[in-house]
Amino acid sequence: MNTESVLTNKEVPGSIRDAFAEKLGPDEQLLFVVVGDLSLKADYSETALGVTETGFLVYDPERDDHVKTYRHEDVAEAKVKRMYGNARLRVDFRDGTHEDVFRFTYAVATLADMAATFIKNVADGKAPEEEYEVVRATYEKLMNVCPKCGRTLLHPGAECINCQSKGKIVKKLVKYVKPETKTLVLCLFLSVLTTAVALVPPYMTGRLVDSVLPDKNRKALLWIVIALFGTYLFQYLIGALRGYLLRVSGDRIVLSLRNDVYKKAQSLPLRFYDKTSTGSVINRISGDTNTIQAFMLRISQEVVVQFFLGVGIIVIMLILNWRLTLLSLIPVPLVVVGAKIFGRKILPFYRRIWRRWAGVVSVLTDTIPNIRVTKSFAGEERTVEKFKSYNNEWLNVDTSAAKISTVFPHIVSFFVTCGSLLIWSVGGGWVISGTGGLTTGLLVSFLSYASMFYGPVNFFAYLNDSYQHALSSVEKVFDILDAEDEADEAKGNCPPIRGRIEFKNVNFSFDRTKKVLSDVNITIEPGEIVGIVGTTGSGKSTLVNLLMRFYDNYEGEILVDGENIKNIDLQYFRSQIGYVQQDPMMFSDTVYNNIAYGKPDAHVEEVIHAAEVANAHEFIARQPDGYDTVLGERGVGLSGGERQRVSIARAVLKNPSLLIFDEATAAVDSETEHLIQEAIERLISGRTTLMIAHRLSTLRKANRIIVVDQGRIIENDTPEALMELKGKYYKLVQIQTMADQLAKSKAEEKFE
Amino acid sequence: MARLYVDGNTARFTRKDICLVDMELFGGEKVEDLEPRRLFPVSGRMKYISLLDAEGKEHAIIRDVETLDPDSKEVILDCLREYYLIPKITGLLDRTEKYGILKWTVQTDRGVQQLRIRNRNADIKQLYDGRILVRDSNDNRYEIIDYRKLDKNSLRLLSADI
Repeated sequence: MNTESVLTNKEVPGSIRDAFAEKLGPDEQLLFVVVGDLSLKADYSETALGVTETGFLVYDPERDDHVKTYRHEDVAEAKVKRMYGNARLRVDFRDGTHEDVFRFTYAVATLADMAATFIKNVADGKAPEEEYEVVRATYEKLMNVCPKCGRTLLHPGAECINCQSKGKIVKKLVKYVKPETKTLVLCLFLSVLTTAVALVPPYMTGRLVDSVLPDKNRKALLWIVIALFGTYLFQYLIGALRGYLLRVSGDRIVLSLRNDVYKKAQSLPLRFYDKTSTGSVINRISGDTNTIQAFMLRISQEVVVQFFLGVGIIVIMLILNWRLTLLSLIPVPLVVVGAKIFGRKILPFYRRIWRRWAGVVSVLTDTIPNIRVTKSFAGEERTVEKFKSYNNEWLNVDTSAAKISTVFPHIVSFFVTCGSLLIWSVGGGWVISGTGGLTTGLLVSFLSYASMFYGPVNFFAYLNDSYQHALSSVEKVFDILDAEDEADEAKGNCPPIRGRIEFKNVNFSFDRTKKVLSDVNITIEPGEIVGIVGTTGSGKSTLVNLLMRFYDNYEGEILVDGENIKNIDLQYFRSQIGYVQQDPMMFSDTVYNNIAYGKPDAHVEEVIHAAEVANAHEFIARQPDGYDTVLGERGVGLSGGERQRVSIARAVLKNPSLLIFDEATAAVDSETEHLIQEAIERLISGRTTLMIAHRLSTLRKANRIIVVDQGRIIENDTPEALMELKGKYYKLVQIQTMADQLAKSKAEEKFE
Repeated sequence: MARLYVDGNTARFTRKDICLVDMELFGGEKVEDLEPRRLFPVSGRMKYISLLDAEGKEHAIIRDVETLDPDSKEVILDCLREYYLIPKITGLLDRTEKYGILKWTVQTDRGVQQLRIRNRNADIKQLYDGRILVRDSNDNRYEIIDYRKLDKNSLRLLSADI
């Protein structure tokens, strides 16, 4: 077998390459190498598993001879045993012995799985060439990562969503500011105007002190007062107009940002929500977008205004007296250096505050919707205590941050004030001695300008603080905006779906710690009604989750009518599936809208017909508000069975090609089960149906049963054949029959 | 069926394989090939150790490893040490943040390791007793026993993330 190069997950260190070369036979060639990270004693170390057509070699620096070689033909079984934070490749040999040959962290667990399969299959006599193709495909998929950040790419050569959008923050935010450009430019113009006007009063004050008051010129005094009045009026009128415009455009900016974050939150894959609490997502949509809006306005307006104000004042001050101006600039370097130190110190605090606040919100989102559970278990006090402790955590961090964020500006102000003392002492001295060409009026004007100048200085000192504050919010918001969407690369490909489902060599784990599905191979023909049974946690619902494309990061393929489901338009594909869950989720809306959720433009009679088919119409008609009955949050107002029938009506209205029932009758009484069963039977005729069920009585219409155990398909045949087989299904039926009989006799006893 | 709890010297354990033990009860009953697993791997690491067979069926629970006879205790602890790999971070050597991903170089009791953390908020959990649990992008776990006892430089690097 000739291969162009040795497949490897990272560069094989020279020492390992040399050690392997020494042990390889004359015609033996390495096909692939898994570079590992743990020694057999679980210390971090560079190890490797090299596989050839006839055997494999393991390099472990803690072994006496470093490399040990094995032959495929001696292997009876090769398996990866996942433990906690590490895993081992265990090999059972044909002579009855076994050995843990290779140890590694989860970083290389998938590759080790693949190596184990290769070794086992070749040992069982399968062609190495064919097995090598599988290995190559796995390497290609795993190595399909962004070279910058290491995230898995959607497909080979795809641009990394993470890095592509991690440009400069301001650049990202410009998108939201752009539509408001006209208003913001107008506001800026108004700001410059008011700023320019603000420079007039100190000059007038100087004139008053120097000439008008000493000359007792009442006429000039009147004119100056009128001029000052006009200046103030102009300043405040324009200020009010600018404030209004800014608020409106600011609201529009936050609206569009919030909409985008919410829209993105809808299209994120479930695995994002597996790792991120809903509380923290809500916090980002509600709180962080506001912080960003405030910051964007600050950046787009205040920075410019304050800059011009600062420059304007300095120019005037230089004209008035350049020596005094230099004196008043003494505190500025202190402020700049201080601001830099402050920024570095305050950012971690803002991050911590954010995390503590997300904790507080997560208690809220956890407990308020579950208020019934809290009350029924008399857990109010515990809940309050928990909330208090999270709130206190937030307070502690916020207090620490407050120390820094309040002390620093005051230190700045102190130095700034000391600057004005300098002007008083030096400038006052010049006025008294009559040197330096300084008059009392000029000194008063100068002091006014100097105090105005410290406004922009203070602003820029504080700016870093608000920048850091916004930065922590921006990070969180862009965590969502930059997260990878559910992969949907086949938009527009909407083939008609007949309902043939195939799972081909499907392996899946939520994270790398435990395999949830292993080597699943199933074919379901159109129109078949397939029952999926197994114990809790066996992987039944995961099977359905993969078919629904809630998780796409599995190995192997899932085909519908011969087409890989990843190549079908995601929304179209899901619209073809009717999915009825054990605990159907209802929206806080009318019963009618809840049924019509999947088809908002449905005709009224279609909705009524769907409700009839689902055995829901009668109870809806009995409600005082009928189809207009507004349900409380998550369907409060309906019983479990009623909610279930509404959700079946939802599925009926959708007229799907595939139907999935996930424990649809698990949480209802026998009578309701009968009604639901009836509804289901009406719905499934002619459609490919997967029914996950604990109660085997639910599966009486099934023409095939699949038994899942520890993520593997262990039985797959007609119910009759499985009963004859006397395997797991048979046992489950026996147990349930006994349980049913027991329940029945107990019920009869009570009745008597 | 009542759960069988094992205390003190009501049972004796002998090592069978790297992560397997045989259990012999005081009454003479023997169960072979049991895998000890922590029921509370985070909060109570030496208490409530479940003993599972190859099918994942639990045969007994050790209430507290400390109460076992010294040999049995050592056998169980050895198995747990082999099964659970949670390197203890004793110092942060370097910390960089690029494209939203944290990269830590850490000194652990198992050697130096570089790890990537995807989501600072979800993957770094600070507990009340100063313990910090870390999960890297490959789902490997790490632990800082008490971050307050880290050296000054490590604390400085860590302070950006906790």
